[in-house]
Amino acid sequence: MKQSTPFTLVGLLAAVLLGSSPGAEAADVIKFGVSTPLSGPAAPWGIPHKGATELIFDEINSQGGLEVGGKKYKLEVVAYDHKYVIAEGAATVNRLIAKDSVKFISILGGTVVKAVEETVNESRVLNLPLAYADGLVSPRNPYTFHSFPSPPETVTFWNWIKQHHPNIKRVASITPNDDTGWWSLKVETKYVATLGYEVVAREFFERVVTDFNPLLLRVLAQKPDIISVLAAPAGSVGLIIKQARVLGYKGRFIHIGQMDTSVVAGIAGKENVEGTWVHGYVQTPLPEKVKNWQARYTKKHGEWNATSIDFANPAFAFVAAVKKAQSLDPKRIAEALSTVEFENLWGKAHFGGKDYYGIGNQIIYPMPFSEVKDGVAHLVAQLSPPHN
Amino acid sequence: MTAALLVQSAVIGLSIGSIYILMALGLTLMFGMMHIINFAHGAVYMLGAFAIYYVYFQWGAPYFAAFVLAMLLLGAFGYLVERSIYRPIKGGVEPTLVALLALTTLLQAAGYPVFGTLDKHVPPVFSGTRNVLGVMISVERLMIIPIAGALVVGLYLFINKTRMGAAMRAIEQDKEAAALQGVNVNVINGLAFAVGFALAAAAGALMAPIFKLDPMMGEQPLLKAFIIIILGGLGSIPGAILGGLILGLIDSIVATALGAEPAFLLSFVFIILLLLWRPTGLFGHAL
Repeated sequence: MKQSTPFTLVGLLAAVLLGSSPGAEAADVIKFGVSTPLSGPAAPWGIPHKGATELIFDEINSQGGLEVGGKKYKLEVVAYDHKYVIAEGAATVNRLIAKDSVKFISILGGTVVKAVEETVNESRVLNLPLAYADGLVSPRNPYTFHSFPSPPETVTFWNWIKQHHPNIKRVASITPNDDTGWWSLKVETKYVATLGYEVVAREFFERVVTDFNPLLLRVLAQKPDIISVLAAPAGSVGLIIKQARVLGYKGRFIHIGQMDTSVVAGIAGKENVEGTWVHGYVQTPLPEKVKNWQARYTKKHGEWNATSIDFANPAFAFVAAVKKAQSLDPKRIAEALSTVEFENLWGKAHFGGKDYYGIGNQIIYPMPFSEVKDGVAHLVAQLSPPHN
Repeated sequence: MTAALLVQSAVIGLSIGSIYILMALGLTLMFGMMHIINFAHGAVYMLGAFAIYYVYFQWGAPYFAAFVLAMLLLGAFGYLVERSIYRPIKGGVEPTLVALLALTTLLQAAGYPVFGTLDKHVPPVFSGTRNVLGVMISVERLMIIPIAGALVVGLYLFINKTRMGAAMRAIEQDKEAAALQGVNVNVINGLAFAVGFALAAAAGALMAPIFKLDPMMGEQPLLKAFIIIILGGLGSIPGAILGGLILGLIDSIVATALGAEPAFLLSFVFIILLLLWRPTGLFGHAL
């Protein structure tokens, strides 16, 4: 008996190791990596990114899984928190590719996705990011399919503003001092200038900054009619709005990126957020399809998060492309993504934008645009991008 | 830059500087007595802010009661850290630095599961604006200045007018000689930890209704506090006060006039030039 114990332990260990090896499960499971901020200022983006992906996959799994080549596969989300820190982002993506052996990934955050651009390309991993970064959608990145409308698409909302609010003429921009902010600001200011707006201030801030008073004093001295906070996370926008109102600013704010206006209102105060325009965040009125999503999301995660509506795109696109490709080869799925038309929560979506980017890897769909009224983000328009 | 903008940015700079001073005072006090840099200061600032979030905002206690409670609780925590970390290490400078760094990491990492991953906010305690020299300044910003001022005066009186303060000064000058005169060095060191932590908690508690709260919120103020104590002279309380005001005004006036990046660079250029002129800082002395 005494001698048998080590053998038993070795046997158990071997069984555990064999049982937990990637090869033992890989045949029946499709692993989908999510590298996203689950803590820190950008967590209001990362949490629904993960939550939406999990919901879509769970629903497919509950119906037996995703059928590929006559075989059913379970979908599994492997998610890591990168806190919107480049080093953490690179580490999580390396871990997903090298340790977890994922072939499909969704990364949130422009600075992070740019930092791992080469890794993704060299590993031939299919990437469906939610990120703003110059050159991300490019012929250099054939396996990257950007799954959220970027500034070149969302600038179209300025046409709506020009038409409905012609009194707005002077635009100021405040964006994060990084790749995401620089590119967003460049695209937006160029576009608004072509519409005849005067860009009176352009300011950058470090993402860790909480005191915006010096920056706002500079901006407000230029007497803007509207302040664009494109690419800034909700926590920072809340502080910008709160501090700008205290300094006497009465004009509008706009975020043609995406932010949770309830987080913003929590920091800035409901009355201070009134009239703010935002893309990709809608609380009411919700179309039936979105209402249904709301009920399912709330049931699964315990509380509703409206950011999940548009952040479900990577999972919807991935599932549609795998169904079309009937293959788990990233190259064949990438080919399918280039041509597949699929349903997201706002209607028909596809990947396009070749005329603008040189490659048709940018998601295109009728994008929602909201105005905050009495603390609630009201859908005011659904617009298509300037390019298809 | 107009005169109005200059006044507005100067008042804002004074309020920012007041917070910097509170952060730097605790750091410099602990350095002066024990020659340690308290890396946990930023995490204590964060805990002070979250104490306000729970006690004032969530549980409905009056703000100033929550403020005092935050200082007391984190002061007690400081004493506990001295007893459980600094004293067992027997005052070794490098091991204490590493241990305090580990404590910081632990507190920040624990912050996410305990406080949640989303940014928190605390409703304003003071609302509205006041006309100061012809420009509008928010009351909540203005109120930082007298509250921080009162704490600085309190610390000054404690150090200069009480027996325990005299014991702190004695340890700062010569630990062995102070012990020979009957000063209980361990207890006074524990007291310095408690006062340092309480001041950091006060800074966090003051800023909680103004900024957002997250477990990493103490990192920037800690960086500023480091700059200030080097600028003012390691271990010098008057130096921390002057350094805090200088940095607050640079951060506000220069950032308003030229932008945040030049202000950040200028603060470092200023320190380099100052250290070339006075290697021990404004009020520091050779160790």
